Amino acid sequence: CFPRALMCLPIRPKWLIFLLCVTYTFSLPILSSKTQKCFSTSTGFYNKEDESATSTDSSAEKASENQEKATPGNSKKNTLNIISEMKVELSSKKKFQLLKKLKSKKQTKDQPESLESASSMFQKATADSKAKRSKPLNPELVEAASAVASSLPFDRKQTVSDLLAQLRKHEEATDAQKRGETTNLSNVIADMKIGKRRLNRGVSRPSSQISFDDDDGQGDMFQRGIRSEFAGSLGYFFSYLESSPTLWDLEFANQIAAVNQKPPRNGFEEMIQWTKEGKLWEFPINNEAGIEDDVEFHEHIFLDKYLEDFTKQGPIRHFMELVTCGLSKNPYLSVKQKAEHIEWFQNYFQEKEELLKEIDDHKKETDLSLERKSLSE
Amino acid sequence: MRHAGKMAASMLGWALRAARQIFPLPCRGQVRGYYVDWRMLRDVKRRKMAYEYADERLRINALRKNNILPKELQEIADKEIAALPRDSCPVRIRNRCVLTSRPRGVKRRWRLSRIVFRHLADHSQMSGIQRAMW
Repeated sequence: CFPRALMCLPIRPKWLIFLLCVTYTFSLPILSSKTQKCFSTSTGFYNKEDESATSTDSSAEKASENQEKATPGNSKKNTLNIISEMKVELSSKKKFQLLKKLKSKKQTKDQPESLESASSMFQKATADSKAKRSKPLNPELVEAASAVASSLPFDRKQTVSDLLAQLRKHEEATDAQKRGETTNLSNVIADMKIGKRRLNRGVSRPSSQISFDDDDGQGDMFQRGIRSEFAGSLGYFFSYLESSPTLWDLEFANQIAAVNQKPPRNGFEEMIQWTKEGKLWEFPINNEAGIEDDVEFHEHIFLDKYLEDFTKQGPIRHFMELVTCGLSKNPYLSVKQKAEHIEWFQNYFQEKEELLKEIDDHKKETDLSLERKSLSE
Repeated sequence: MRHAGKMAASMLGWALRAARQIFPLPCRGQVRGYYVDWRMLRDVKRRKMAYEYADERLRINALRKNNILPKELQEIADKEIAALPRDSCPVRIRNRCVLTSRPRGVKRRWRLSRIVFRHLADHSQMSGIQRAMW
């Protein structure tokens, strides 16, 4: 990536610092991801104060959100002062993560692997620089590097040394270019990382606060999904959604959705809205819109299976057969509702069993008495 | 990191759906919280009750209005239906005008009283309604 960047930029001392910061993030994997992001914002700020307002590809990659303000007449000293005064703010979450990583770094420092990689990196850099370095570093650059390092919340000496090493690397690369060495396209492509689109989040946030989003490049699907529903407010959610969403979160989400709803611009959009609400039918008209009956016709008509628990003779059976006859002809009820109907009657008659028995006995008595009377007459 | 992002998305989606159920999105335009008058409110309550008890009333009436079942059973059913709350019977519902709560002179098709109907029709706000002339 850095040779590509170098190709398009004019090489000035301040730009070199800027480049250094940018490439530092790509090339040194030892430092944690936090440092990369810190560097990115610092470059963004640097960009603001810089005289030249031309935006470059590399700057656009990292600091697309920051607007460039042309501030003519900024002396070098002023900028250095500003940079040194700048303090990168880290949210508490990031601080904890940083601490964790620092701890892990301390633990792994003893491990040979990381040491090897670090040392190999530095060895390579130094070897290259020793082999090809002809000029010493610009004192201004050194000053600028120290200023930048002071603004960052990390080990100052380490950052300064790393920055300077990177500077040297850049210098030798530019020298190589000047000599006309061909840049291998394959190397360039291999070094280039897949640029991930940045959501334009936190538009309403004040620009003075530097804040990061951990979920920058989570994937296109994710971003699209968010964009479709809520446009800029989800950034707030991601940092706070660690427990289950409370009622306040729900209300907030609801508010956001309501605010983002714009009034329909024309009749078509109005109709779309109504269809979504359910006020308007869907065209072409679906005759079975509300009904989702997966049941065949025979289950509506042949309801004898529900009558198995009833007595097989007597007035109740007669009554229930009439009821089922009526239900089988009813097209408005679902099978479940019909079954419930019959069940209700079943329960009712079970409750009245005693009464029914009494009635039966009484009837039998009266019948017998009538027979006796008729016989006697 | 990615897993956390996916988790967040799913949880947010769930939160959205839940929010819609608990707090339905407000519709545009005026939303009144009051009925026209107390009589209309009572009518609304009667309608709701009638809807709740509709099935039960139908079944008990089916028991009552037939000559197959023994009369004792029908008498018991009579008592049962009388014991139901008074507002559950559909006979108590009055088709009032929707806008003015007028109990009389209400046209069933439009649910409006004659005066409101005439007012709207004269301002050509009733679709398909024209002054009769023959």
